[in-house]
Amino acid sequence: MKLTKTLKGGLVTGTLMAATATAALAEFPERNIEIIHPWGPGNAMAMSQVVAKAMGEELGTDMPVISLPGAAGTKGQTTAMGKPADGYTIFDGYVAPLVLQPILGNADWNFADFKPLSAAVANALAIAGQVDEERWSSFEEMMAYCQENRGDLRYSSGSRNNLPHMVIAKVLQSYDCVAQNVPYTQDGNVFKDLGSQVLDFAFINVGNYRSNPDRVNILLVLSELESSKKAYDGAPTIGELGVDLGLSNLGPMGWTWWIVHPDTPDDVTDTLRGAMERAMARPEVIKAIEAIGFVPLDWDHTQYEEIVGSVDAQLSSMGNALAWEEEELRKLD
Amino acid sequence: MIFEFLSAGLDVLLSPLALGLTFIGIVVGLIVGAMPGLGPLMGIILLLPVAIGLPPVAAMGFLIGIFVGGSCGGAVSAILLRIPGTPLAAATLFDGYPMAQKGRASDAIGIAITSSAIGGLIGGVVLVFCAPLLARFASNFAPPEYAMLAIMGLFAIVVISGGSVVKGLLAGSFGLLIATVGTDSFSTGLRFTFGSNNLLNGFHIVAVVVGLFAISEMAAQMLGRDLLKTPNVKVARPGLRTVAMTLKHSVNLLRSSAIGTFFGAIPGAGGVISSFTSYAVAKAAAKPDEKYGEGAEGGVVATEAANNATVGGTLVPTLSLGIPGDASSAMLLGALLILGFIPGPAMFENNPDVVGGIFMVYLVSNVFLLIAGILATPLFVYVLRVPKVYLIPSILLLCSIGTFALQSSVFDLQIMLTFGFIGILFRAADYPLAPVVIGMILGPILEANLRRALLISRDGYWIFVDRPVSATLVVINALLLVAMVYLTFKRLSGLKQGELQKAMSVEE
Repeated sequence: MKLTKTLKGGLVTGTLMAATATAALAEFPERNIEIIHPWGPGNAMAMSQVVAKAMGEELGTDMPVISLPGAAGTKGQTTAMGKPADGYTIFDGYVAPLVLQPILGNADWNFADFKPLSAAVANALAIAGQVDEERWSSFEEMMAYCQENRGDLRYSSGSRNNLPHMVIAKVLQSYDCVAQNVPYTQDGNVFKDLGSQVLDFAFINVGNYRSNPDRVNILLVLSELESSKKAYDGAPTIGELGVDLGLSNLGPMGWTWWIVHPDTPDDVTDTLRGAMERAMARPEVIKAIEAIGFVPLDWDHTQYEEIVGSVDAQLSSMGNALAWEEEELRKLD
Repeated sequence: MIFEFLSAGLDVLLSPLALGLTFIGIVVGLIVGAMPGLGPLMGIILLLPVAIGLPPVAAMGFLIGIFVGGSCGGAVSAILLRIPGTPLAAATLFDGYPMAQKGRASDAIGIAITSSAIGGLIGGVVLVFCAPLLARFASNFAPPEYAMLAIMGLFAIVVISGGSVVKGLLAGSFGLLIATVGTDSFSTGLRFTFGSNNLLNGFHIVAVVVGLFAISEMAAQMLGRDLLKTPNVKVARPGLRTVAMTLKHSVNLLRSSAIGTFFGAIPGAGGVISSFTSYAVAKAAAKPDEKYGEGAEGGVVATEAANNATVGGTLVPTLSLGIPGDASSAMLLGALLILGFIPGPAMFENNPDVVGGIFMVYLVSNVFLLIAGILATPLFVYVLRVPKVYLIPSILLLCSIGTFALQSSVFDLQIMLTFGFIGILFRAADYPLAPVVIGMILGPILEANLRRALLISRDGYWIFVDRPVSATLVVINALLLVAMVYLTFKRLSGLKQGELQKAMSVEE
């Protein structure tokens, strides 16, 4: 009886020791790593899958991208924050849920609450008009028309209260132009309704522009970067028009940094950072990202605070543009 | 021009890799479609990383094969188990399941596969010959037209409700109500989320459909006294006779395929609406002796031809304008971009071999669907010979895996179970389940487009009659409403008279 007890005790102790030793020796990652993507299926998700595939190859594991859209990206971000801080959940941190929604009071976190892995991509935005427009031939003429016909123009920034909405509202405010924003949940439908003259102007991204460059007229590129101007075939930029939005570099652009929970162990975070940096440097990954219309970013985690912090400060200072638009439209009702 | 595309595409298609991967895509699609919870979109998302490492036409063949196979695969579980594998097949169970109950499971699956393949081919012919033209027409559909189309789709509830129109309308209203849960995209306000982060984007349609249909059906099956019995089901290979059976419904087949292609070509409409609409139209046009809802072949033909023709239609705006018709085609568009091709008019000019190749793989995938589907039908039907004591837990496990896989979310499993319980209550009270799905899908489309149209309008509601297509749809909707009210009252008065006569005969 005593012998059996001793054997049982030895077996349990041995098993526990073996398990502890295995756990200590086990190298991250031991299983799939999930990427939480805050938007629905589409180009942006396909782009994330390209990066995830390359990063997974670097780490020797699968990295499925899970689409969790809702509430301007905050649903995905909140879900990611609720997962264990073990490095097996990465958040595709777009500007809207990471910076903009906290500024608008719709989220209780700050960009500094996360650990960055690396910058992923940016996407230059532009304001496009109808191709056979007869009322104006340039952005400035459109603004003059808008000042004379307050509240008459219809435009879309895609979703409401997103980055394009804030930037466009700021541009319109600087020209004292009041126009009605019409929210859409699918970017493609914005483009379609612009082409069929339902909307007067709309935000557009490089991917949509490249599909039908002859069906829209790019009025203004919402960036000062030369690469953005080139992506829109030399259309005028905010810098050239002398519009001072107080935005520079990534400020007026869509972008994403991949981030993890702040309590993620440092060694795990370092492994992920290394894998992502190697993946982002691969020529085939850069080529695939550019093919979708995004710009690969080569900033590493040490630049996160400086770059995202500056965007946060810039967007915070222009946060009243949306309130201004709402107030002016209310006055016209 | 078209023949140049096809000829260029044929050269690219005729490689063992492209043909083989298209066939594999069909098989994968049939499997993910048949598994409750998964579907063509999930199949495409899971396998996109594999596809982007392949040559372009082989990659698109693989993904389009999954799209085509997945759009049909849901019919298999709808027919055999009364569980739509995907929401696309929710209307297929109206007649598919009764056919299986009558011992015609092989016929029903054969008809579903043949209709899907022929519907897909018709959608493909439209895609090949009319893509730019149809894309231009569809691009004129703006919020007022979408709102009117959604109202038209809601009329389908009255047609498919069968026994009680009132119960159908109540079930549809329940669907409309649960569709309001989540973030309002116009005001960014939260509706009925009760502080839950999980409800910020509302309920996932697949979790609701699996719960309503699958869980409640399994609960109903468990109440039977034949859990241990091995069912004596004769498994017949459908073969070419099901092709002949399908072709007997040629008018229905053509009409449903046209409806499917039309809804596919309008971005955002989707296969679920097209399958319910074509079922409602087929039922309304059928003779009483065809007995829709009791195992009519025409019912299966209508829904399956429509939802697969929708795939061809969906590719029209995706390829011609670079505007995805639905979530699955949005992923195809993403794949094309990664492969280095920008969908839109320029692709037709610069890459005719790729455009032609995509046309060809789509057409070939529908032929493969017919071959693979007919060959695999005995395997599918074999499920009916499994004793329920094994079948029910297996189905519940598959439902749980499929639903969890949607968003890696335990909350979706809770939603599935909750709606399973609601489904049991609906069945107990003899309320139809399909109107809930219609309401849930059409609710957001109607609400968003009605509000969007009013924001765009400078004259309030006049926008709905100022635009010619919208005005036509308003008139059609008004006529449909009058006809439905008239027919419903006529039927109710007929029923009352019948009851009166019955009561009088009892008294005598």
